[in-house]
Amino acid sequence: MADFIQLLVNGLAIGSVYALAAIGFVIVYSATGVVNFAAGQFVMFGTFAGVAMLVNARLPWPFAYGAALAVMALFGALFFLVVYLPLRRSSVVTIIIGTVAISITMQNAALLTFGSWPFRLPSPVEGKTVALGAAIISTHALAVVGVTATMVAGLWLLFNRTTVGIGMRAVAQDIQAARLMGLKVNRLLALSWVLAALLAGVAGLMLGPMWFADVSMGDPIALKAFAATIIGGFGSLPGAIVGGLLVGLSEVLGASYISSAYKDLISFGIMIVFLLVRPQGVFGEKIQDRG
Amino acid sequence: MRMTRKDFLKSMLAATALPAVGSAAAQQTGPILIGATVPITGPLSLTGKQYFNSLTMVEEDINKAGGINGRNIKIVFEDTQASNSTAVNAFVKLAQETKPAFFFLSSYSTQNLAIAPELSKVQIPAMYAGGADAVAEGGNEWMFRIRPADSVSAAGMVQCALEVLKAKKPGILYIQNDFGQGGAQTAAKRFEAAGIPVVGMEAYGQNDKDFSAQLLSLRGKDADVILIFDYPQDGALVLRQAKLLGFKMPLVTSSAALVPAALQLLSPEDLEGVWGVVDTFMDASAGGRMQDYVERFKAKFGTDPDPYGLAYYDGALLMAEAMRKVGTDPKALRDWLAAVRDWRGIGHVYSYDAKGNGVRDLSVVKAKSGTKTLEFIQTVSLH
Repeated sequence: MADFIQLLVNGLAIGSVYALAAIGFVIVYSATGVVNFAAGQFVMFGTFAGVAMLVNARLPWPFAYGAALAVMALFGALFFLVVYLPLRRSSVVTIIIGTVAISITMQNAALLTFGSWPFRLPSPVEGKTVALGAAIISTHALAVVGVTATMVAGLWLLFNRTTVGIGMRAVAQDIQAARLMGLKVNRLLALSWVLAALLAGVAGLMLGPMWFADVSMGDPIALKAFAATIIGGFGSLPGAIVGGLLVGLSEVLGASYISSAYKDLISFGIMIVFLLVRPQGVFGEKIQDRG
Repeated sequence: MRMTRKDFLKSMLAATALPAVGSAAAQQTGPILIGATVPITGPLSLTGKQYFNSLTMVEEDINKAGGINGRNIKIVFEDTQASNSTAVNAFVKLAQETKPAFFFLSSYSTQNLAIAPELSKVQIPAMYAGGADAVAEGGNEWMFRIRPADSVSAAGMVQCALEVLKAKKPGILYIQNDFGQGGAQTAAKRFEAAGIPVVGMEAYGQNDKDFSAQLLSLRGKDADVILIFDYPQDGALVLRQAKLLGFKMPLVTSSAALVPAALQLLSPEDLEGVWGVVDTFMDASAGGRMQDYVERFKAKFGTDPDPYGLAYYDGALLMAEAMRKVGTDPKALRDWLAAVRDWRGIGHVYSYDAKGNGVRDLSVVKAKSGTKTLEFIQTVSLH
């Protein structure tokens, strides 16, 4: 039982990070129709923003986290201006290739800036554990689950209780109608990218202490976030959360109770089953008409 | 004066032949070219950068000492990144364009295996540091290993578990590739032969980041010692996660998790109860050539040297000695290296067998309590 609890918390912590990456993925896709293949590198940038502020600049915790997230917000806005705007009227294939190209560029930019040696990004609760009966739980893993739950609650409030969030949903549903209603569409689209970058930043800051910061960490995250999105339902925010948690749990519990050698096969196997049996995912896609 | 067709053809022939004559002359008098295909960028550069640096250093040292009978050597590098196909392309490029007299290949077995057929075609001797037994079993007579084979490392780890830690229920965690699988299987057979079968074997993928399932599974099977066959970064992560999961039993890691690139990711607490079976114990206090190498490397590159880099340094010194004795004829070089017995390098004593394996000694180390400084426990020699 103790082992199960440890595995459960670890699975939820990893799943939370996948969920945040998947939410960023979904927000951008819903608002702009762009499948962002650089989503994993966004998370990697978030981790390295933390490295720059905490390890290199040695800023105290709150300032370092604030500065790292500010950098990520700026990066999201820059991505909107430099990548999305010039490509927005291009074909889907061009945009996909564009985001893949940006993904490679981001990875190599990080390699040039930080080098190939990984970094140890510290956690505010570094090395602390909590005993739950016989189970030893990492405090950081618990914090990751807590922070993700808070972020999800914040997103719910944003999209359901604020004018900006409702505007973003309107843009996601029908961009032409939103423009006719007088909404500042470009500003809301930019905000979608900023929000995706911020979520990736939070995911990166939480992931760094769990995995080490290294420039090739983005690809596996992108794959898992993609799997989470498929399982949860492409374009669905609750789906991204459920999908992320499911992928994280299936990875950890599958490795323990089925086979550690095939743990990726289990996660991606679930994704393939969904594609075959229920391609709309757990929650399906509510939005059918996109401008 | 009018140029006849004959004159024109003569001049064309001269123009075509002159560079070739010049090139041939340069090959006799210019530096001796050595090709090195190493991972300089990408995830494998964690160790690749070490042997890039040590080869750069040994090139300077050999040339300062008079080169090869008066001729300097020049090492031409090509980046293999973390890809077998890139490694093959890098090798072919060097073989066709640089035409080196000798090769150094990477320390990653999969890259060594990918390059081996190409090496057979060009028939130039090469030194490599990949540990997989499959490389030597391939029977490529041009390949010489400068590190212990994985079976030797695995035997050393088993010896450490049985003799030093008195293991009764060993478990094994391994990275799922040629290195990890080969090492784990060898270790399991050795435990079996000693009458102490392993209680469990768990694998993880090269890109995995969470090992809690595998570690807890081994603990669930009451493993009293866990052997870990790993690469640097995942090795460091395994040790750290074991600590966070509250593991108390000794962990015996292979060489990679204790190289400087991995150690900088760990805290002294992460290393409590961790033992390592490393290629070479890099200790400046040993004095002599080891001290000289460690101190100069650190001063030159600003980082501690690791055993992988030292293996390449030793290998280059051995190559230089071979060239001084028999010149650069590939067959003569190959035969001379194949006959090497008890050649004393800085890190090892080299004696090549029929399969090109030259190293059979290892060191058992452990971090001094509360520090990240490794201390020497004992030598494991499998001669």
